[in-house]
Amino acid sequence: MKSQTTRAAELETLGEFRDFIDEFCLLAGVADDACHDLKLAVDEASTNIVTHGYAGMNPGSIMLALEFEPQLVTVEITDFGHPFEPAEPEPPDPESTLDDPTRGGLGLYFIYQTMDEIRYRSGEEGNALTFIKRLDS
Amino acid sequence: MFRNLRVRREPQKFAPDPLQLSIDEIISDASIPVSIRSINNLPDNAKRRLYRALIPIGLLTRFRINPRSWLGPDGNTRVDLFAKPGSGLVNLSIWNDENRDDPFFTIELEDNSFNGIDLNLLVLSDPDAPRFQTDFDESGARTEFGTVRRNIVAEERAMLAGLAPGQTRAGLRASSEVFNHVESFLTLLAHHAYFLEPLSYASAWVFERRGFAYVRGHKLMDEIHQEFQPEGRLYRELDESTPFRVQDHWNSVRGRAWAIHDGILQVLNTRWDRLRMIKQVGRHAGADTFPEGTY
Repeated sequence: MKSQTTRAAELETLGEFRDFIDEFCLLAGVADDACHDLKLAVDEASTNIVTHGYAGMNPGSIMLALEFEPQLVTVEITDFGHPFEPAEPEPPDPESTLDDPTRGGLGLYFIYQTMDEIRYRSGEEGNALTFIKRLDS
Repeated sequence: MFRNLRVRREPQKFAPDPLQLSIDEIISDASIPVSIRSINNLPDNAKRRLYRALIPIGLLTRFRINPRSWLGPDGNTRVDLFAKPGSGLVNLSIWNDENRDDPFFTIELEDNSFNGIDLNLLVLSDPDAPRFQTDFDESGARTEFGTVRRNIVAEERAMLAGLAPGQTRAGLRASSEVFNHVESFLTLLAHHAYFLEPLSYASAWVFERRGFAYVRGHKLMDEIHQEFQPEGRLYRELDESTPFRVQDHWNSVRGRAWAIHDGILQVLNTRWDRLRMIKQVGRHAGADTFPEGTY
């Protein structure tokens, strides 16, 4: 089962993405806790794109694609803003992030905590962050 | 595997610079994107064989033009190929009779600064449909599709005849087929996507339906849709002050497009020149900024 939506890169889109994931999980029969993790990860990744990837631009699109297979969900988030590149890792400080949600760099930490595999590629066709959530049997 | 990401400061190029790409490299690795400039540097017949793939055969045979020789029924050429060696631009145009200044099909592709490819221009006009002089002003100067100058009288007639801004004739309704050819051609060159800047709101709406997403301007398109709703700021500017600002324009793609062409976006402190779209080869983005909109 596959599903995709394309929206403007703005913070209002995050709520639409959450609703989209809820609907997808309902149709695919994904458990509530896994669905919550997916929403958290998409929220973090999309926030990075909105606040950093499209910084200084008239915002373009974010494409969210979900694919359900038995035992796993694959999420791909594509944007066409500034690409990201690997940076030196910083020790995560979740308390600091919760106190200061504008401080960047820890969204990826949350995604790592909840997802099983993460890939990022950037090229002519845009920037694509892919993560996989394995589902408990 | 990365643990942290940051925004890349340096612009990224999608492919090697054209002048660094040798024919040996093209042969050795089929995944290296090839530029327009590289093709333009090929001998004439070689590039003609390649660029022929950009024109739907049905479009040529419909006007009795030979798809291989590009000759019309009178034995005269009907297709112009502009692809000079050293240039990163290709322009193909087709005309139906002796007037090669009035082509019914024009396509222009160009290497961009990231070594990707831009679709600069696509014109698909029905040569049998009435022509409106929206491309020249009353003193005979080119209007550049109404972006530099305007011929208000011709535009009003074109609008009443059902055309969108920038059109001189009704369309050929072949854009879907042309885009399929463009994608096949770009796959041949190992490109993954191409880009364009929509001339008008109507163009952007059509490109959404052809699968394009936005590099810039998705939020603006959403805002335009929102502000054209009754009581929105654009809706309130439909005050009948010009023929292009009539009230029922709020609820159609062409109506909105003419109002925007007439400068209505001033009320949002913006203009129609900030948009850029991308089509990923083989993927339909599904963007829809005017849900259930009618043309």
